[in-house]
Amino acid sequence: MFELIADPSFAASIPRFVTPILLAALGGALCERAGVFNIALEGFLLVGAFAAVLGAYFSGTPYIGALTAMVAGMALGLVFAEFNVRRGGDSIVVSIAINLLAAGLTTFFLRAIFDVTGAFSDPAIAGFAPIRLPFIEYVPLLGPILSGQALPFYLALLSVPFLHVFLARHRLGLRIRAAGENPQALRAGGVSPKRVQLLALIACGALCGLGGAQLSIANVNLFVENMSAGRGWIAVVAVLLTRGRPWPLFFIALLFGAVDSLSFRVQGLGLAQQFTDMMPYLATLIVLVALSWWRARRARGDAS
Amino acid sequence: MIAFDAGKATRSALPWLFTFLWIAAIILALLLFVGAPVGEALSGFWNGAFGGRRNAYLMATLSRSALIVGMALSVMLSFRAGLFNIGGEGQLVAGGLVAALVAVLMPGPPLLVLVVAILAAMLAGALWALLAGVLQLFMGVPLLVGSLLLNYPIRYIASYLVAHPYRDVQSGMVQSHLVPQETWFAYFPGTRLDIGILFTAVAAAFALIYSYRTVHGYHTRLNGLSPDFARTVGLPVRRLTLQTLALSGAIAGMVGAIAVFGIHHRYIDGMLVQPLYAWTGIIAVLLVGMVPWAVPISGFFFAAVQTGAAGIERAAGVPKEIALVVQAVIILFVASRVSGALTASRGDGDGHV
Amino acid sequence: MRIDLQDVTVRFGPVTAVDNVSLGIEPGEIHALLGENGAGKSTLMNALFGLVTPASGTIRLDGKARRWASPQDAIAHGLGMVHQHFMLQEEMTVLENIVLCAEPVGRFGFVDFARARSRLDEIAKTHGVAIDLDRRVGRLSVGERQAVEILKVLYREAEVLILDEPTAVLTPQEKDRLFATLKSFREAGKAIVLITHKLDEVMEIADRVSVMRAGRLVASSPLAETSKDEIARGIVGGDLPAARTRKALSPGETVLAVDHLTVARRGRDVGPVSFDLRAGEIVGIAGVSGNGQAELIRALTGLEPVRSGSITLCGNEIQKLDVEARRQGGMSYIPEDRQRMGLALRASVSENANAGRDDAGAFTAGPFLKHGAMAQYARSLIERYRIRVAGPRASASTMSGGNKQKLVVGRELSRNTPLVIAENPTWGVDIGAIDFIHGELMRMRDAGHAILLVSTELDEVIALSDRILVMYDGAIAGEVDGGEASRDRVGALMTSRAADALGAASPGAAA
Repeated sequence: MFELIADPSFAASIPRFVTPILLAALGGALCERAGVFNIALEGFLLVGAFAAVLGAYFSGTPYIGALTAMVAGMALGLVFAEFNVRRGGDSIVVSIAINLLAAGLTTFFLRAIFDVTGAFSDPAIAGFAPIRLPFIEYVPLLGPILSGQALPFYLALLSVPFLHVFLARHRLGLRIRAAGENPQALRAGGVSPKRVQLLALIACGALCGLGGAQLSIANVNLFVENMSAGRGWIAVVAVLLTRGRPWPLFFIALLFGAVDSLSFRVQGLGLAQQFTDMMPYLATLIVLVALSWWRARRARGDAS
Repeated sequence: MIAFDAGKATRSALPWLFTFLWIAAIILALLLFVGAPVGEALSGFWNGAFGGRRNAYLMATLSRSALIVGMALSVMLSFRAGLFNIGGEGQLVAGGLVAALVAVLMPGPPLLVLVVAILAAMLAGALWALLAGVLQLFMGVPLLVGSLLLNYPIRYIASYLVAHPYRDVQSGMVQSHLVPQETWFAYFPGTRLDIGILFTAVAAAFALIYSYRTVHGYHTRLNGLSPDFARTVGLPVRRLTLQTLALSGAIAGMVGAIAVFGIHHRYIDGMLVQPLYAWTGIIAVLLVGMVPWAVPISGFFFAAVQTGAAGIERAAGVPKEIALVVQAVIILFVASRVSGALTASRGDGDGHV
Repeated sequence: MRIDLQDVTVRFGPVTAVDNVSLGIEPGEIHALLGENGAGKSTLMNALFGLVTPASGTIRLDGKARRWASPQDAIAHGLGMVHQHFMLQEEMTVLENIVLCAEPVGRFGFVDFARARSRLDEIAKTHGVAIDLDRRVGRLSVGERQAVEILKVLYREAEVLILDEPTAVLTPQEKDRLFATLKSFREAGKAIVLITHKLDEVMEIADRVSVMRAGRLVASSPLAETSKDEIARGIVGGDLPAARTRKALSPGETVLAVDHLTVARRGRDVGPVSFDLRAGEIVGIAGVSGNGQAELIRALTGLEPVRSGSITLCGNEIQKLDVEARRQGGMSYIPEDRQRMGLALRASVSENANAGRDDAGAFTAGPFLKHGAMAQYARSLIERYRIRVAGPRASASTMSGGNKQKLVVGRELSRNTPLVIAENPTWGVDIGAIDFIHGELMRMRDAGHAILLVSTELDEVIALSDRILVMYDGAIAGEVDGGEASRDRVGALMTSRAADALGAASPGAAA
């Protein structure tokens, strides 16, 4: 077990598991801070993964693929905003519907466009090439993690400090926080909280779309039905646990991604696949229970 | 006076008309996208949902609605009590798995085996639902995510059990052995519809009487409308929460047993997850805004959409996955008109006068 | 800047909230706008500020007619409003709150906080309103929060300042500081509108007084040309109601005994609190809201666990029991928040009326409900408490605030328990309902029930109570006898610990 974790190729595999969770969680964080309870990250990721394959297959370049994924995610964000923010539908109901819509649209178009069920892989799907960072790749330990990854990983890494500063100091960031905390006050100041929430949802769509692209056109170049496989829900938990704060979110996503990666690695150890598949969810549950319990205790014993 | 009423009726009907037109337009766009003949698609839908030789497809719809309505009833009891239990899938799997394993492993007269298996399935579903409740009440884990995350472990546990210790190896598939043939649900004479739907009917009768006529249903309803109010007037909120979850889980577990004894006659990996029974049940409840008497109708409607989509595929070559898209679109349009029910129960609805 | 409102009418559906009101607001004047709850004062000012759109009428600033698309328009033209419920972001710092929606932006839309700081330093110098800009608003006192609201308005260079019930939550000292600030604005030539229903404050500070009643402007004149009595008559529409008479009763046995009770609270625990409540008396708990009354009530009713101490109800210790058991032990509770705690708004009147009943046998048969008996009971409450509603099957949300409250009061009082806890029982209801509810509470007292009245309306506490306990900073600052209660004595206790109020030497006083 220990050799397994110390193995540099294990470290090198962590980023690709962290990236989709981190990007989806950052998108979810923007919604959370803007006061939109978006638990449809699973659907956003799935649509992103499919759109990335679509774009990469027909254009022959992963960049168009990633762009398609982001645009598709933004479109889904618009749909969410239309029904939740503008029409006032309950966010849980809209989220459930969006998740189903994503599952439906991806499987429907998988058959309608590529005429396959289950999975689509084709050499024509152009995936991201690893980006080798000069000098950094030779740093022991960190080198293999930081260098040789696909583009979405680096964008995700940059998003963390950017969103932190954005929420703290940018005009829109300030308004997003206000829309989440006291929308009445924002409205009294003459800014429409609904517009702010719409923008947050669109940005969330773009981030999740990119996360989906990481799933389907980085490392493996294929789309599989229900490819997000619960990662969006793990991202939802990460958002809830950190209340949408970018840096804590980064570390939680790192933890969940590492477990995800580990579960992939231990399949070689003779453990039944079902148990290794279960690991990320169990880890998420355990962290969730531990942190919730700790928080509840602290809230109760605050004054003592 | 009459004119006034008519005007009012028109005004309230108009948004629904637009909703209907929107949904129809989206379906049409999807059909046109795959170049399907619209007329044949429509007749294919009708035939697939309600037709067939000797009504075979209608029976398929009924058979499917036995499961979907069952899951919808399970979800409804939770939602009406203000409990966002979206872990019906896990409770369903727990029930199906336990039903199949008990029937395969337990010796004895078939009827006894059947009864014990169904009761065990209900117990399993109830326990899995209670787990989410315990996490919420004693650990502070929100029920919404707690119940959802619990779907995954049970899914993999079930998968492991029928892939390794209890696998029917000869079949070459990831599935359990067949349950004894004597325990299989009988078919209605002259049809291929099993009697599982009678269990759902009993569950529906129970759920309706429970919701409208019992003290427990009244109290959980108050808790669902306003948890603060329920606490203030001294209702035992924690006990009500756990009891309601157990009830929900037991019904979900029973639905799992129906699927085993009525349809598949064994536990096949993924048989309860892939068709999204639990999620369809949830949206069936949301479609009608948790009004109990309408839930069975709504469940039947979604079952028809799914079997009808298979009909469209046969008749016009449209991927049957269109059903999922249509369901989601319906919920988006309809639920955004009637979903105040959920908002109010979370207590973020209205402030002071 | 001079403001003229001309024939302004505001409607909400069938209700006319403001009816054809014309009003002038002059620079360099403090203009008091008076009236009962629901008289239309706030609505009129919301229309001026662009928060609601008038159905008809014009708004002129310095003679030019204006129409606002949003409050942003009004703000851009020099209007500023401090709302009754503060419009602040608790999680943000003072500085962030002030610049929000009027951010000075630098490159790429990032906020130039340094520029905002230097502007605020200037404002602090000219008007003497200063506060630490980096503190989180959630940690500020009510008075400090109001200062933030005023800074927000000044930062936007407002010439007209509208304050909606600014003193409702202030201690007398904080109020004095606020009034000093307002006077400095008057000197600077700004126009100030003070929405209030407190006569004394108007007499103290206003230059001009306008009175509204039921949506209409009934009087508007300089303060010098009117009198306190005349204004009061304008507010209630006739002469003042006579003070409530009470039957002399010698209190009976102790119904509720609270002994060294402490309750957990963020920051500092509430308590220790000790007091007795006897049959046939109303004990009022007065105090500025947020001084531990809410925690005390939640602990008494069982909604929150106690940390230490004991509660004895009719001779039985109940501090470990749950809500249900305490209610069965002889306690009724009229909560302040009828929308959330008093009623389930989306349930029917009947479902609300029958909730928490002790005589389950009267409306159930085994596990089943008897809907007929439930409706019958609801009808009896509707009649007995004169609740205006379509019927038992109507949704509770269809009732007006006063009728909702009467349903809550009726449900709790008809349980006939030895102890009744009433928390701000007349908050936000019309005069008729206030009178009725006060009458019912007095009737219960005269019938030998013990009533704990917790209210932030000082007038209410003084009018009804046999004894008054004043809470300050989580503890009971002192006790005043009902007969000898004066606003001044209670007011002094509301702002300090008992020792300070009685003038005893304290370390703080020396410094």
